[in-house]
Amino acid sequence: MRSGRAWVGAAFGLALASAAVLVLIPLAVLIRTSWVEGRGHLADVVSSPGFGSAVVHSFELSTAATLLAVPVGVAIALALRDPGLPGRAFWRVAVLLPVLVPDFVLGYSWLMAYARAGLTSELFGFAWLQIQGPVGVSVIVAANAVPLVYLIITVGLATRAEPTTERAARTSGAGPATVLWTITLPLLAPAIATAAVLVFVLSMGTFAIPQVVGAPAGFATITTHIYADLALGSNPQGFVEAITLALLLIVITLIVVAPTEKVLGGRLRIGRAAARDTDWPTSGRITRVIVTTALGLYLMITSGLPLLALLSASITRAIGVPSTPDNWTTDNFLTVLTPRTGYALGRSLLLALAAASILIVLGSLAAALGRTPGGRSLSVLITLTLVLPGSTLAIGLLIGYGRWLADTVVIILIAYLAKLWALAHRPMSAAVDRLPPASLHAARVSGAGMPTALATVVVPLLRPALIAAWGLCFLTALHEVTMSSLLYGPGSETLAVVVLNSADLGNVGATAALSVLVTAIVVLPGAALWVLTRPHAPRLSTHRPRA
Amino acid sequence: MGRGRRRIIWLAALLQLWLLTACGGSNPSSAQSITLYTCVNDTTIQPVLAQYQGTHPGTKVELFRAPTGQLNARVASDIRAGGLKADVIWACDPLTMQDYVTQGLVGGWTPETEIPATVRTPDYVGIAMLYLVAITHQGVKAPTSWSDLASAGKVAVPDPNLAASALGALGFFGPKFYADLKEHGAVQVGTPDDVTTGVAQGTYDAGITIANSAYAAQKKGSPITITWPKPGAVAIYGPVAISKTTKNAQAAQDFISYVTSRDGQTVIGSAGSYPTLPDVAGPEKPKGAPVVYPDWNAVTSHKAALLEDYAKIFGG
Repeated sequence: MRSGRAWVGAAFGLALASAAVLVLIPLAVLIRTSWVEGRGHLADVVSSPGFGSAVVHSFELSTAATLLAVPVGVAIALALRDPGLPGRAFWRVAVLLPVLVPDFVLGYSWLMAYARAGLTSELFGFAWLQIQGPVGVSVIVAANAVPLVYLIITVGLATRAEPTTERAARTSGAGPATVLWTITLPLLAPAIATAAVLVFVLSMGTFAIPQVVGAPAGFATITTHIYADLALGSNPQGFVEAITLALLLIVITLIVVAPTEKVLGGRLRIGRAAARDTDWPTSGRITRVIVTTALGLYLMITSGLPLLALLSASITRAIGVPSTPDNWTTDNFLTVLTPRTGYALGRSLLLALAAASILIVLGSLAAALGRTPGGRSLSVLITLTLVLPGSTLAIGLLIGYGRWLADTVVIILIAYLAKLWALAHRPMSAAVDRLPPASLHAARVSGAGMPTALATVVVPLLRPALIAAWGLCFLTALHEVTMSSLLYGPGSETLAVVVLNSADLGNVGATAALSVLVTAIVVLPGAALWVLTRPHAPRLSTHRPRA
Repeated sequence: MGRGRRRIIWLAALLQLWLLTACGGSNPSSAQSITLYTCVNDTTIQPVLAQYQGTHPGTKVELFRAPTGQLNARVASDIRAGGLKADVIWACDPLTMQDYVTQGLVGGWTPETEIPATVRTPDYVGIAMLYLVAITHQGVKAPTSWSDLASAGKVAVPDPNLAASALGALGFFGPKFYADLKEHGAVQVGTPDDVTTGVAQGTYDAGITIANSAYAAQKKGSPITITWPKPGAVAIYGPVAISKTTKNAQAAQDFISYVTSRDGQTVIGSAGSYPTLPDVAGPEKPKGAPVVYPDWNAVTSHKAALLEDYAKIFGG
């Protein structure tokens, strides 16, 4: 039987090798290009018009989105603990709806719903004119980050919370607010912190929404600047400037994220099994009514209306004509349903499946290495590729691996792995604290090899986190457009290419139809995801020694 | 989950990976295969390729098509990873192509053709035209000249930092035109397509956009009016050039000769882009519609100053 040390060594080795291939080499390539070709122009980049305000805007956006999304996500996760809440099963699915809408139609669907002459204008007679500006961008980014926060907190609740302690506190006379403040939130603190970091990082790197919704109000961010640099980047200076800006974005993120990792604190070591569903207290009738109404309104505003606007655009004959039955048509879907789309979609689905499966292994690895100094550095390192704009990461991969892997699906797969590693890691790290070392040790001492011990003791405990992480990575990889459209070749066309082709000539109807199609294809596995993400606690009987 | 089931899932994952790698990758480059990099929209390029490969059965054209920003990124990355992989580049504006020529990537040969000298240089030939026109939402008074645009209501303009067509317009009109628009409440959106969508939707009253996208939306039924205001619609041409490091020079030259010939130009015209060869049918263009041509050399040399002045008007 191999010693535990050998396994830990192997884990470190695998993590290091993956980090080198996926993160270090592309970053090194980008840094070298920027240094060799652009170090003389750094002053120009920093003093170019709009650079200062772009940095400020990126910061404002990320801070606002984090401050909005985290409390809302925590509140929803706590509210949905109540086993007696009416329609609970439905709410648990509905909260995840924003994740199903691809990035490339997100901005448009909100604009079509709320801007001047949009859906609310048609139905109710008013429009949200401030949507095109910093407020609108922050709200949309936050609304789409809430499902991530919700998933991470739910995983945290399933593995870290102590409902029996809460009951004890309530019995001793503490009010609900006191219980929340003194018991629930402190236990959830690491999960909240990891979710906050994820939302901040994702908001720093977000591009599509500021581009579509923010640009008309002059709200530029670092990411839109990078895009503009590349658009006019046919000369070396523009190209290198784009890379330099991306690296600056990374430095800024590093400054914010690295200290947070240290502050997250030591691992919580508790031997008891985690909470079961039925352990949670049920709330009173009035609370339930308030919660249900609030949830309903929230979901209608953040998911319902934009999705409705999207659906309406996909079946309407042209933009600008009212969405009435005589203007409805299947033309948009027919334009999109071609064999070429079929092949591209199939390839995208396979790539997303492969990427998600590999990513949960990598994410678990990073989570397992956890609070060791090496593990902390690793978790900071992998957030860097998450924040790096897709086009720049793709450039790094092309320059680094293009000689051998250009035009293959392998380079696209590597791109997904590099970008999304942090997305798989965060939900896992929210769960991993609850691993009972005693059970694992007992299994090993009884003769189980490490793989068996891991599979029978650890995996069942981590199941909700594994499934949440897999689902997130699958959907994000499937909807990915920027990197796939830069890295593809004749035999590796993915959905991204089809999307950009239809987005050309301003064909919003066809793009909307594509996104409806992709969503429909994903909803079936999505339903499976829902069934399996109910907090799964290991039954106490598996941990009791046989009498 | 049982051990057997888990093994099956691992095997399935490995199988997927193998399938992916087997299905990926391009055909090995042969004397009868050329690689084309372009930012021209898909609806134009596909018929051209289909027609070319139909009449030249020995040649295969491998296509990489992406918006200009990603095309630039791809070309720049190629150079730093062993050399440009394209044999032919078909760009969407002269600025981009001129930059490639300055870097020594493309050029040096052009075919014999009747395409006018206003849209060609010794290194590249313009094969498709774009025109920037004015559009207005139904019910809004259409401007007869560009100076009327400011009083049309809420106007949307495309971003010259994103679209070379908008940059050409900026070079032609000068920053004062845009300052005037901004004073009357104009907003800057992203690409010309965003202008079309916004004006069609009714979010904006009027805007400057590309004729193709405007006519396409109008044909579907969007409530917009298209005008070619005086002194003229701003013309941008999309040039094609041969790579200086191509290993398939003959095949590349054949392709370029084709797209500059009457046959090729006819296909381009019927696919929805305006051809550059005179007397070839193309998309809708009103009789006697005025057209103006920016001075691309001046735009190139003053690009930084133009964008800086523009940034002062519409923000960074």
